[in-house]
Amino acid sequence: MEQPVTVAIIEDHPVVTEGVESWIRSDPGQRVRQVLTARDLTGLSAAPGPPADVVILDLELSGELVTTRIPGLVAAGYRVVAFSGHTDPAIVMETLDNGAHAYVSKEEGREHLVEAVLAAADDRPYVTRSQARAMLADQRPARPALSEQERQALLLWFQGMSKASVGRRMAISENTVRQYISRARAKYAATGRPAPSKDALLTRAIEDGVIKPAEIMPYRSFARTSAGPSLGAPGQ
Amino acid sequence: MTAVTVQPTAMMSGRYQRAFTIAVLFLVAGWHLAGAGGQLLNNRSAYSSFALQGVLWLVMSLAIAIGAVLVLRGTPSWRQAWALAVIVLACSTAAAAASPASQMLALEWAWGSAGWIGVLVLLRRRFSELAWFLAAAALAILSVQAYDGLNRTSLAAFLALLAWSTGAQVAVAAGVRALDVAAGKAAAAARSEHAARQRAATAQIVAAGRQARWLTLQESAVPLIAELAAGTADPGDPQVRIRCAVQAARLRRLMAEGDEVPGSLVHELHASADVAERRGVTVEIETAGALPQVPGPARRVITDAAIAILTAARSQARITLAAVAAGIAVSFVTDTGAVVSLPAAGHGVAIEQQHDGGMLWAEARWNSQ
Repeated sequence: MEQPVTVAIIEDHPVVTEGVESWIRSDPGQRVRQVLTARDLTGLSAAPGPPADVVILDLELSGELVTTRIPGLVAAGYRVVAFSGHTDPAIVMETLDNGAHAYVSKEEGREHLVEAVLAAADDRPYVTRSQARAMLADQRPARPALSEQERQALLLWFQGMSKASVGRRMAISENTVRQYISRARAKYAATGRPAPSKDALLTRAIEDGVIKPAEIMPYRSFARTSAGPSLGAPGQ
Repeated sequence: MTAVTVQPTAMMSGRYQRAFTIAVLFLVAGWHLAGAGGQLLNNRSAYSSFALQGVLWLVMSLAIAIGAVLVLRGTPSWRQAWALAVIVLACSTAAAAASPASQMLALEWAWGSAGWIGVLVLLRRRFSELAWFLAAAALAILSVQAYDGLNRTSLAAFLALLAWSTGAQVAVAAGVRALDVAAGKAAAAARSEHAARQRAATAQIVAAGRQARWLTLQESAVPLIAELAAGTADPGDPQVRIRCAVQAARLRRLMAEGDEVPGSLVHELHASADVAERRGVTVEIETAGALPQVPGPARRVITDAAIAILTAARSQARITLAAVAAGIAVSFVTDTGAVVSLPAAGHGVAIEQQHDGGMLWAEARWNSQ
């Protein structure tokens, strides 16, 4: 059996931390192991031993938004799953642009948090309904161009249908629905501020055949080092 | 609304004030031209230098012209008003000082003009400012007279002049103030009448809205209540209960339709969800993107569909509103257990539904074209 994914929970409300722990415990496959909980980010940098694979980060710690701390966490080698009471599309977009793998609102936690952590550990895209909503609402000039099918799959997913139902509605397989949604997410990873987590997500998406390198070429040259400047990327 | 009620008041009261200002302006100009100018010409041979007196008279004429422009544009600022006041005070004192000592008060023409110009430029500033100015002008003349030699006769002449000219100036300034207050009151009365008219118009609109809603209820809720009262409808019958739930939701929506709030459709959907929520159904409403304004009849079609679907919901419903190309997509995902018969589409709204494993998905899409 595979090693469980290790996770650190950064959350200032103990009752929420306990809720997250209970979701992790109740996962039938025990695929996630929690190794650290802290009430702020200093707790994480002071952590002894190997870092956790994934950080579940509450975006508001002691009343302060910490979205700008995400690039630092990503640079330190963590994969970040944002877990927040906020659902404002602008905050969701900023969080993803800063390099978070996924955005899970507190209402979506029970259903999506463990799955989002597993996807992040694998560098695979994971799109919650609040993320789909932010993508649909996105009007920034630098937003990626989504195909009609991708947009429709995102819309139906946001509306609350299961992916199987979305497939029946669109007369495609559930797997193709996942492809469309993942591709939309990968297109977002190819825009905006460069981050190693985004590159990892893109590499994996190309390996998995979710997206072709040619599809993201117009947005950002993929053949570059993750630390290098991103020339010609829109939104820079 | 505010603009409509406030404007007439300000306009009316402003128009009266302007009329008073023009009246004072004529008074000041008339006095300076006929009163002061006449006296100056009449005694021209008596002055030691008629040319100097003439120049001072012209300077004061210029001050009147500048003051006229200022007061016709509004209330002069502190600086503007007092700059003119100090200039005319200096002219008046200089004219008095340059008059022959023995005949100063008899030949004095400038004091009166100075006082009137002060009234003009300080008219709508604090009354104490005018009082200080008139006192300073009087004191300057008295000082000149004291320098020339003050005796019982000259003091009596000074007091007589003071009573006559300064008294008249104070009286005119006070009169204009009283008229300003009266104009304000008249305007306030007009405003309250205007407001009353507007209230009546609003009441008429509200009454018309109420009438329209009453007519809507006549064809829907009233027959149901009548049946319940007559006993022909059994409250225990699930069908009757569904009809009651629908009518309750419609009543709630009717009230919401009267509310003036931005995002009317979201507001009305919340109202439509009220009754279902009270039944224990968890309803979440989310929006994506900048939603367009949907016209009233189309909103009705959408909320009618919402009421039908939410009445059938068992425990949960998710309503989303998303901006789509040229319109809005309002969707419902809920555990109805069966297909719901939806009201007719129309007014640019198309409705679709799909039933899948106990969950209903329905979408009402309004297209602006």
